[in-house]
Amino acid sequence: MSTALAGVAHDIRSRALGWLHTHRQLGALDGGDITGNTDGYKALAETGLAASLVLRDGTAGSRESALARELLDFSWAQLKEGALLYERLLRHPLATDTIEGYAHFARAGYRHPGLDRLIPHHAALGAAQVVEHVPNRRLAVANALRITGHDHGAGAPDWATSARATWLGGTPAPWCIDWMTGYHVTHTVFHLTDWGRQPGGLPGDMAAYLIRWLPVWTDIWTETCQWDLVGELLLVGSCLPAPYAEPDDWRRLAELQHADGLMPRDDQPVDDDTVTRFHDHQHTTIVAAIAATVALARALDAPAIGTPAAGAPGTPAP
Amino acid sequence: MTSSAAVAVGAVRVLGADALAPYVLTGRALLPEESAAVRLSLSALPPVQRPPAAPPDGRERPWLRAWIDWGLVAVAARLDPDPWCVAAPVPQGPPPCDDSAPRHRSADGAVGGEGWVPWSLRMGQLASLALPGLDGPVHQAARSGALALARGATRALLRRDFATAARITRWLAWLAADGVALPLDVALLTEDIALRGGDDRCLLDAAIARRLLGLEVPTT
Repeated sequence: MSTALAGVAHDIRSRALGWLHTHRQLGALDGGDITGNTDGYKALAETGLAASLVLRDGTAGSRESALARELLDFSWAQLKEGALLYERLLRHPLATDTIEGYAHFARAGYRHPGLDRLIPHHAALGAAQVVEHVPNRRLAVANALRITGHDHGAGAPDWATSARATWLGGTPAPWCIDWMTGYHVTHTVFHLTDWGRQPGGLPGDMAAYLIRWLPVWTDIWTETCQWDLVGELLLVGSCLPAPYAEPDDWRRLAELQHADGLMPRDDQPVDDDTVTRFHDHQHTTIVAAIAATVALARALDAPAIGTPAAGAPGTPAP
Repeated sequence: MTSSAAVAVGAVRVLGADALAPYVLTGRALLPEESAAVRLSLSALPPVQRPPAAPPDGRERPWLRAWIDWGLVAVAARLDPDPWCVAAPVPQGPPPCDDSAPRHRSADGAVGGEGWVPWSLRMGQLASLALPGLDGPVHQAARSGALALARGATRALLRRDFATAARITRWLAWLAADGVALPLDVALLTEDIALRGGDDRCLLDAAIARRLLGLEVPTT
């Protein structure tokens, strides 16, 4: 990623964080048990994810760091400092979403002692292996155990087996993909690399496969204006051992972003109602913030491919 | 010109060297009436003698036409030992498209070529050159762009543009026959297009790709 593109990514992140911060109260829980409102609490966890990555990767200025910290404080407070996650896991031992959600806060130093006793117990019971999740979701659990420090001993994740069980792990014919599978691919990469922190977590054949086909998928979902998925695919490009970024993709995303920071999920009209706007486009705006922050972090430590100005190396031979 | 001759001239014009593909692929002797149709077509619509530069610098349509005519004349001359009085000059080859090419030329005009999307589409329009025994600058460009072609075919298939997918896949099949390693399973790709596509032109391209891959043995 060139310096000019880093500027574009910085602007996207800054505006996205501002929008999430301004409207955070719209994501408040109505108190009590979260089991009846899993969508609402997952959105809080995703906000926590974005904010924790902004702080983790060390590319944020003081304003963005403050916004990220306040978003984490707000979301954590909504979850009653983890107590709601703890109670849900206590009552629903197979509800691994609690472990996955907790990890984003743990990454930024927010801990709940009860969860830290309960999670290793569930890990030993096989949380990362035995729950009937789709394969990439097992990687989500494995990564959550890794982040929270509960990925050793009995029930430690079997990364290689879990990775190979995913669609991406089979490196299938690249046209055998659909919109939902696109998300399966992106999440497989996010969890294996811990959201770009360790690109080497991606097995070599899977990285080579993505270098070949990620540009195709980015192209077709750009054509159909699926900006949420496109944002995730740009994030995948930043998670590769040699990051992939094409300047026009980032400029397009910047042009699509509304002045207030909202990132539209697709090409349908954006509703005027503030609450509807928030719920419709919160996920895509979170994705934009994460994609931009990981792109910035990788720009500091690796040359990009697909950016001619950077003197891009070619992809590995087939 | 009789009406059937007019139809034959039109068919040769549309198909280029593919009008003669059955003879190239099966080794059968060219029938006199087929040879006559090609001669009539080339005399009625002779190849341009000074083709434009390759796009994106030169004009695309006449450049494509010049290459299609070159392929037709080259194949016809090979199949028909009688002297041909029509010459088709070798136009300028397409630019190479290596693995680092972007999808499209960047909006800021940065270097990096025009991108594998337009490049592969243009190669697809030259699919009638992807026949056994033909080789030249277009084929050399195809060798430089196996990944670009594989991406182009995959993109077309995902867009359900089976005709384009079939045309680009012709080049992948030609490369496979040439011994070039490919980043995808071109036999599966060809079958996918043949099963899900459907129009006659698409099936013709898929059938030729199958022959190039040795998936169908000539029956004679």
